[in-house]
Amino acid sequence: MIRTLAPLIPLFPLLACLITLVLGPKVLKGLSHLPAIIGIGASCVCSWILVFAVAASPHPETLEIYKWMLVGGDASVDISISLGVDSLSVTMLAMLTFIATLVAIYASGYMHGDPGYFRFFTEVSLFVFSMIMLVLSANLIQLFMFWEAVGLCSYLLIGFWYEKPEAAAAGKKAFLVNRIGDFGFALGVFLLWDTFGSVNFETILDPVKIANADPAQIALACLCLITGAMGKSAQFPLHVWLPDAMEGPTPVSALIHAATMVTAGVYMLTRCTPLYMVVPDIQLFVAVMGGFTAILAALIALTQNDLKRVLAYSTVSQLGFMFLGLGTGSMLGIAGGMFHLVTHAFFKALLFLGAGSVMHAMGGVIDMTRFSGLRRVMPQTYATFLVGSLALAGMPLLSGFWSKDTILSAAYSAAYEDGHHAEPAHAADGHGAGEHGTGEHGAEGHGSGDHAASAHPVERLSLASAKVAEREPIRFAGLDPKVVYKGLFWMAALTALLTAFYTFRAFFMTFHGETKIPDEAGHHAHESPASMTIPLWILSIGAIGIGAALGHPTGLFDGFLDRTLPGLSEHHATNWFVVGLSGVVFTLGVGVAYLMYGRPSTAPATVAKLFDSLGGLTRASYNKFYIDEVYNALFVTPLWVIAQLSRFLDWMLIDTILVGGISKLPAFLLGKPARPMQNGLVQFYGLAMTLAMGVLLVALVWQQR
Amino acid sequence: MTQVLLILVLLPLAGAGLTWFLGRTNPERARALTLVNTLLSLALCVQMVLAYDPGLKSGSEPQVLQMVVSYPWLGGGGDGPDIRFSLGVDGISLWMIALTGLLMVTSVLVSWTAVTENPAAYYSLMLLLQAGLVGVFAAQDIILFYLFFEFTLIPLFFMIGIWGGHDRRWAARKFFIYTFAGSVLTFLGLLFIVLSHQTMSAQPGQPLTFNIPKLVADITQLTAPANRANYEYWEQVGPWIFLALFAGFAIKVPLFPFHTWLPLAHVEAPTAGSVLLAGVLLKIGSYGFLRFALPMVPEACWTMLPWVAWLSLIGIIYGALLALAQDDIKKLVAYSSVSHMGFCMLGLFAFNTTGMAGGVLQMINHGLSTGALFAIVGLLYERYHTRDIEAYGGMTRKFPVMAFFFVTVIFSSIGLPGLNGFTGELLALMGMFKADRLYAMFALTGIILGAWYSLWLVQRTFFGKFREPIVEHAYHAAPGAPTTAAAHSHGGEHGAGHGHGASHGGHDDHGHGGHGHAAPRGPVGDPSIGDLNVRELFAVVPLVACMFWIGLAPQYVLDRITPSLAPIEKRMQDTRQAALEMRAKRVEVAANGAEAAGQAGSDVALVGWKQSQKD
Repeated sequence: MIRTLAPLIPLFPLLACLITLVLGPKVLKGLSHLPAIIGIGASCVCSWILVFAVAASPHPETLEIYKWMLVGGDASVDISISLGVDSLSVTMLAMLTFIATLVAIYASGYMHGDPGYFRFFTEVSLFVFSMIMLVLSANLIQLFMFWEAVGLCSYLLIGFWYEKPEAAAAGKKAFLVNRIGDFGFALGVFLLWDTFGSVNFETILDPVKIANADPAQIALACLCLITGAMGKSAQFPLHVWLPDAMEGPTPVSALIHAATMVTAGVYMLTRCTPLYMVVPDIQLFVAVMGGFTAILAALIALTQNDLKRVLAYSTVSQLGFMFLGLGTGSMLGIAGGMFHLVTHAFFKALLFLGAGSVMHAMGGVIDMTRFSGLRRVMPQTYATFLVGSLALAGMPLLSGFWSKDTILSAAYSAAYEDGHHAEPAHAADGHGAGEHGTGEHGAEGHGSGDHAASAHPVERLSLASAKVAEREPIRFAGLDPKVVYKGLFWMAALTALLTAFYTFRAFFMTFHGETKIPDEAGHHAHESPASMTIPLWILSIGAIGIGAALGHPTGLFDGFLDRTLPGLSEHHATNWFVVGLSGVVFTLGVGVAYLMYGRPSTAPATVAKLFDSLGGLTRASYNKFYIDEVYNALFVTPLWVIAQLSRFLDWMLIDTILVGGISKLPAFLLGKPARPMQNGLVQFYGLAMTLAMGVLLVALVWQQR
Repeated sequence: MTQVLLILVLLPLAGAGLTWFLGRTNPERARALTLVNTLLSLALCVQMVLAYDPGLKSGSEPQVLQMVVSYPWLGGGGDGPDIRFSLGVDGISLWMIALTGLLMVTSVLVSWTAVTENPAAYYSLMLLLQAGLVGVFAAQDIILFYLFFEFTLIPLFFMIGIWGGHDRRWAARKFFIYTFAGSVLTFLGLLFIVLSHQTMSAQPGQPLTFNIPKLVADITQLTAPANRANYEYWEQVGPWIFLALFAGFAIKVPLFPFHTWLPLAHVEAPTAGSVLLAGVLLKIGSYGFLRFALPMVPEACWTMLPWVAWLSLIGIIYGALLALAQDDIKKLVAYSSVSHMGFCMLGLFAFNTTGMAGGVLQMINHGLSTGALFAIVGLLYERYHTRDIEAYGGMTRKFPVMAFFFVTVIFSSIGLPGLNGFTGELLALMGMFKADRLYAMFALTGIILGAWYSLWLVQRTFFGKFREPIVEHAYHAAPGAPTTAAAHSHGGEHGAGHGHGASHGGHDDHGHGGHGHAAPRGPVGDPSIGDLNVRELFAVVPLVACMFWIGLAPQYVLDRITPSLAPIEKRMQDTRQAALEMRAKRVEVAANGAEAAGQAGSDVALVGWKQSQKD
């Protein structure tokens, strides 16, 4: 079942991509969306069947498609293109293909009439194919390959309207910033390959092998992998590309730059959990980076006037939340991070598509100061956008609430509860899972069948953890991790407050107040067509219900992922303090936003005055804390200057002085002294001849003597 | 089949004569003859690749050198020199010859209308160049190798000097003198190897052999640590031989700081000259290192490893920075070659199969990518007669098909997975990482810079606002090529019927209209200038197909490369082992109070090995 189904999932989008590429320009034209929708839809159906197949099957499976590369010798390399099917990958697949299908349907309306219509669907299908292959990778190199491939699709789709200079520049920027991350990623892959002699997850995630490896190597490798994840998932300091990526068509922003591709970093780190579990300090680093990015992006989002940019910074911020979850060092945090990934995909895709719907109606204008009161014009978009905003702001019982709550709880535990971050806790985690798992899924784990023969994976994990626990942990400058986690917890709570505020600021600015429509919209500002609103409604259902359906109340999500990451479903008591805090934060954020932007009586002038009173802080936030400018000053410009300098030196020093000089040497040493002799005076030649003959004669006589 | 190499050398030679005599009066006949000739060669190359058996064994040893032909040529008999006309291919030269065959067809097709001045001479020279290139890679005799090695300079010298750009004479002279000066030293080094081989073997009455495989095998045995005297002699002269070889090969590659002839030659060369120069000629340098330096003076290679590695690293980064600063498309691509060949050298100097396979792959890949890049840039130049990046903008709108291929080729050269560049860079870097992490780490920064200058080039030329250079002489009106007007009026019907019969690599002809551009909105800009026509597609599509092939399924190529590298890896590792043992022995001797002769020298030699001793 799994073996027949799994290859179909990437195959359909690939076929769709090839069909639109070949037939798009001449045959399909305006129908180019059909192969994409059918292909991605079919892939979605297969993914959902696969979820149930995996749930019913005791073992994860790895299918080798073909051997990509095999080189023997001293540094042997063995890489195959294969599909690794386990509960983690199919969860991602189900989410990814579902959202991709909806986005493809939506785009058939949104992109209607664009001259690059077929190109859009070709590239989207290629993206979905690459993303599926990324998720299904069973080795790091394949993951890296498709990691780059989704980067290519991102580049092409950001620069979709290539004639717009900003779009072309944004595409390049996205690719380059990602390349910086990939630099680290590649190093990490090399390090792991060097340490374990393989790039297959089966080998490098084997707890026993990990326990026996040099922890310094693993720490270094993990740090490198994080760099890659920070690039793709737009974490500070590599977050700068994501807001610019909004130059791409909005469906692309929803699919690639909110729901799926940007979460690849989170997925990769989750996949490598066994590695991270043995290096708690690196986890702390992940948490700090995540927490910092979350609040930084939230602060920037407060003052942006471009609706899509608000959402983009919100994405950066929410991704930071996921990193924070992963970095708490507990299985609860990882579960929370992964779960937030899924719920966020729904409500953020919803919000982006809603923003696209607004943009569609407003004739491409997305500046929130230029329109308002759209709730009367676009009631369906209004309603669904409200659902998305509530979910993002963390309204209790909606999906965002559950996942954010899990992350906050994990951070809280790491900060205030004993033994949660301390290393022996992992052993306890493992044991807990062992007890939990014996009944339902005894022999499964993330090794293959023959591994299970030697020892139960859960036991192996706890064994490895115990071994790690014996080691002296390395600490950043003697910092107590609990203190750091305390700070992070409160920072996260503050971020949640800011999130609720900026989300509803955008919401009120767009949909409430007096109806104002920009000139670009013409006279036909209207609700979007059904092809666009239906996906919005479907996503709304997800944004409302998915958290409660899969999250804490039922435990389905954790239970399912537990098969891949043992210990994930360990039961945790509800942390009522965190729940209460979430509720307060949500109310406060939305309330303040309403007071400032929602009430008809609040004149924008008051708000402006309030922001003015904050002065520099507002300006800094509005200008994204000048990070782009700093990078330009620190890296781009100096490199540019160095490049120009090299160009000059290459011409001056190397070519003219060095090469030119050496090439003139023979002439200088031999030619120049000899030249005066060729003076053209016959008398001189005669004299020289006579003298030379004389010398010769003397020499001969001398010799004969 | 055994004669295929001989035919591959003789066919272009004969073709050159034929083209010259039959084509002088009729330029169309000249290029048609050349095209037929190169297509025949390409077919033979394919035949050769298919006939090459990577699993062939003689006895229990794998037989990597195949299709050998050998005729007595100069000398022979007695104890005089025995110079033979012997050709053969192993898994490395196999691909270099195939690459030559492929790029020749592209070169002819891109010159089709661009060369109007004395085409018969031009195409004859191109065919002569092909004969030389095939000969270099197939030669199994040192004299023959050197003959072909120098012979390749002459046709290219004339191609640049006569059909080149504004500064062609200076460029041709510099190219010739620079590369020639280096290769004279290389020749000395090669002769020294031959002579000392005779001295060391100390078997009177034996003819002086120039046979490369025999020399490699003999020297391996003769300089084994068991022969203490020979071993120490080789230890002493090795670095000097290496330096002599280095002089010629490093200039050819080109390694920093011997690269300055390259941009000039590229910029001034006609398109076909650039394609062949970047595509094949540069590989002679890295091929030379792999064929001579590594197996013959392995110990010196270990000694020199840090030097070569750092020069390669500087080349990677410095080349990329220079590429970034250019405003001339061809110069940009030329400097990117410096950067890419750095990866190649780094891979070769990892001294393990993985790295060397990456280096060889990188040689092929660079040939394909840069060859294709020069071809497309040449086609653009043919249309507008300017290489100034600033003159272009948003060309995608006008040339969607060209944009598709340009972007694809750019991504191949950036090293995007799924295309060829990635496989080579990955293996080279992995191999180097195993050998020395530091080098690999520095080299990795090159991929960031590489993406920067490449994508920036795309952004400035094919993306952004549409900007068309002002054309003084529309290319279709070029004198001396009456047939082209018809061909291009066809191309001028924007988007109509491109790519008839251009199906290749799974793409249908419609596919080329496909990717990375807007649908036709009527002609843009100068209506007399159109997108790629069928002939131009035939020039580019095979290269792009090969890029996908090597990117998606490199194993076929690797299966043929790696058996030829395994002995070199063994040789390199054995040498390191032997040197370490020797050192231990010497330390022992020194500890016993005896004079440890030459220890200082061997200490230097061991700097590189320490790194690899970690594991």
